[in-house]
Amino acid sequence: MLYINNLTKNYGSFTAVNHLTLHIPEGDLFGFVGPNGAGKTTTIRIVCGLLRASAGSVIIGNTAAAAGSREMKRLIGYVPDFFGVYDNLKVREYMDLYGSMYGMYTRDIAKLTDDLLELVNLSDKKEVYVDTLSRGMKQRLCVARALLHNPKLLILDEPSSGLDPRARVEMKELLKNLHSMGKTIVISSHILSELSEMCNSIGIMNRGQLITAGRIEDILQQLSGGSRLCVRIASGMDNAVRLMKEQAGLVVESVRENEMIVSGSITDEQISALIGRLIQNQVILTGFYREEGNLETLFMQLTGGGAQ
Amino acid sequence: MRIKWNPIVKKDLRVAARSMRISWGLFAYEALLTMVFLIALAVIQADSRSIYGSGNVYNHLIYLFPVIAIAQVFIVTLIVPILTASAISGERERQTLDIMLTTCMSPFSIVLGKVSSAVVHILFFVTAGMPIMALAFVAGGLNWMNLFYFVLAIILLSVLAGSIGIFCSALCRRTITAVILSFAFYFVFGILTGVPVVIDGALRQWEGVGDSMLFLLFNPIVFFEEFFMQLMSEESIFGSVGYVFSKSDVGFLTYHLAKGKLWMLVSAACLTATAVLFMLAAAWKVNPIHSSAGRRPSGKRAK
Repeated sequence: MLYINNLTKNYGSFTAVNHLTLHIPEGDLFGFVGPNGAGKTTTIRIVCGLLRASAGSVIIGNTAAAAGSREMKRLIGYVPDFFGVYDNLKVREYMDLYGSMYGMYTRDIAKLTDDLLELVNLSDKKEVYVDTLSRGMKQRLCVARALLHNPKLLILDEPSSGLDPRARVEMKELLKNLHSMGKTIVISSHILSELSEMCNSIGIMNRGQLITAGRIEDILQQLSGGSRLCVRIASGMDNAVRLMKEQAGLVVESVRENEMIVSGSITDEQISALIGRLIQNQVILTGFYREEGNLETLFMQLTGGGAQ
Repeated sequence: MRIKWNPIVKKDLRVAARSMRISWGLFAYEALLTMVFLIALAVIQADSRSIYGSGNVYNHLIYLFPVIAIAQVFIVTLIVPILTASAISGERERQTLDIMLTTCMSPFSIVLGKVSSAVVHILFFVTAGMPIMALAFVAGGLNWMNLFYFVLAIILLSVLAGSIGIFCSALCRRTITAVILSFAFYFVFGILTGVPVVIDGALRQWEGVGDSMLFLLFNPIVFFEEFFMQLMSEESIFGSVGYVFSKSDVGFLTYHLAKGKLWMLVSAACLTATAVLFMLAAAWKVNPIHSSAGRRPSGKRAK
């Protein structure tokens, strides 16, 4: 869906985005992660045609038109992190304004407005003035506005910034809902836990460069070099250590009084067999589980602690 | 066939209609025009009673029209930059410009929409001033065509002033700076276009001016001077230059242009072309592909 090829953006001698190459497949919910100044917003603005790239190209779907061209604009729905509203404009009129800007007819806009307001749970606010809505409602309205022309790609820059916890949950549910409808969504965010719950793939940027990108599980797997196993033992620790060392592909990392950490690549079948052997050898297990990696740890590892 | 309004005009008018600002603006405009009318009437009456006057007040009442019209031109010139100087900078401050630019509207359509809504606002004011203008008709000597030409001239002035205002708004980040810059452009067009003529005339020891007079085609003050002169007395200062001076004195182009009403038409075309150039320049500046090329995005300044 979105192909970014060798994208570079320089501001004088400062390079905000450095040879970024990224492919986001259709139907993905992609999280763009990176510390402040990593180049996420610059990349998003280039994709949306709000900034000219120093080098490189952006292709959306099969359209290789220049960023900022009318063809490209039709394919993108953009939700900025902060946006103002006009005083004295009702929700319905707000939607009508932006629908008209996409060359849509009032009748079509009215029909779509009803559907989209229902989708973002603002049906009862149709005749309410936009400036009286809460921040969360405005953000959801902005998502509805961005969906008016049925874009192939929805880009959200920090959609949860400044929202209270309830509004965040609502926004997250809305995005999940849109993802399930098959929309390709790109979200830039600092809230890693939220991204890990929502996104199926991520890209981590630091100092203008894309450090890694792909499916979250794959990245976590790649980075930890396989999973870590935590084994809790009530008795028979010596036997357990011996059996673990005998198991090919496993390395005993640490042994404490009744807990052992083992790392390495091991399949679920091998784990079952290993547990069977431990029990046969009079090892009393009180726990045996994979220690999952998380996005926060991964992010800190990759960006050298420059995260929020 | 459906007429598609520029969405910006529709939105601006809708928002303005719900605001008290437009009502207060119209009230102030009417009040000011009434004051001008009453003062002009008082002056005319005083003049007719003077021993040097003709004694017939009706001979002078016809001048109420140009007085009120000039007052309107003056007010419009002041209002338009205030209306338009915040048009782009206001959208930028509100952070709605980025959203607008990601829609299918071209930067030129955005600029055109903003200028159009300024012109429509001015037409509100001109229409509201009609009853006061109508008082000048009571005295006679004027016809409907005069009024029609006046409205056309006001629209031309609004478009020119609006495009200057929009350009300044696109250029400046702050509204107040845009207003000041708009008035600086007024100074350039109103005063500085006359400087080459003065220099040329002085060099020729006031025995004629060359083609430097063509600069005055871009001068809105000269345009309105010619407009009112031709409307009221069918006379002209610049339009008669071709008769006063010889071809060698004023130059080929000026000689031919300054004969008859052609001067005013060409001046109107020049002012329109100037307005279009300002709008194109504003659109170029609004286009993020051009304007932000060397600047880092400001959206994240708080972070």
